[in-house]
Amino acid sequence: MPHQNQTNLDVVVNGQPTVVEGSVNAPLRSIIEKALEQTGNTGQPPDSWEFRDAAGQLLDDTKKIGEFVGVKLFLNLKAGVGG
Amino acid sequence: MSVAADQAKSARQRPDQYVEPSVSRTKFDREVGEYRALEEEYLSRGWVMTHASFPLVRVMMCAAQLKPPAVIVEVELDFTNYDAEPPSVTLVEPFTHRPYKADELPTILKRTVGAPAGFLPPGLPVGSMVNIQAQQPLMQPPNDPDGLPFLCIAGVREYHEHPAHSGDLWELHRESGAGRLARVLEVIHKYGVEPIADYQVQLALSVTGFIQSSFPE
Repeated sequence: MPHQNQTNLDVVVNGQPTVVEGSVNAPLRSIIEKALEQTGNTGQPPDSWEFRDAAGQLLDDTKKIGEFVGVKLFLNLKAGVGG
Repeated sequence: MSVAADQAKSARQRPDQYVEPSVSRTKFDREVGEYRALEEEYLSRGWVMTHASFPLVRVMMCAAQLKPPAVIVEVELDFTNYDAEPPSVTLVEPFTHRPYKADELPTILKRTVGAPAGFLPPGLPVGSMVNIQAQQPLMQPPNDPDGLPFLCIAGVREYHEHPAHSGDLWELHRESGAGRLARVLEVIHKYGVEPIADYQVQLALSVTGFIQSSFPE
């Protein structure tokens, strides 16, 4: 059970679901490191990842976590440098 | 199986499995299982898994945002030797599974890239502010004329086998999830399907005569 001001978020990291606890007042990006750690995706820094919703829309990870309560969050590795 | 699909199957060269099959199969099952767990969400994006039997996964990608929706491409991933090797990724025709040649691709996955930091075109004074962007296709043509176009991102077997990427080993990316099924599909959707805004229609008009208001006596 999260503490007051804490909440649980459903995060899908590269297709693998996990639940991450975060402060409702912290930016969404603050949970990236924890989500990666919990799913064993340790090879790339948090900046290499981006959040999308179930419909595939890019999410602003500077917004507060409180705005994403109840939203299934898809954390995906960016394409990186091609060619 | 249709003749075209049969030809497509026989024409493909599949690698031999040298990794203990149960290892690759277990990891393959994990990829497919995780996809199945989120299948409703993926379906809402227009993704339809049409085949999942080791070592192949095929996912049809549709532009669900269009009215009516359109099938854009089918993605085939070959998990042979996964994850000692990354999956092979091929864009194929949705109803025959025949791989697209470079000049047949329905999408080349264009992405916008900025100029390298500090880049200044000749002629501009030092300190000038420039905003240069270019479009780069993530689907690259093959080296040899008989080859297939390949998805040029880390985590894809064809990328790591390409001579130009000999310094960027798969082992450097394996722990990042770069070769995961969902990640590869996300990239193809992001650059190949999501940007499609509408149908492009071309009408060819030709004058065949005149409409007369009357026919005088």
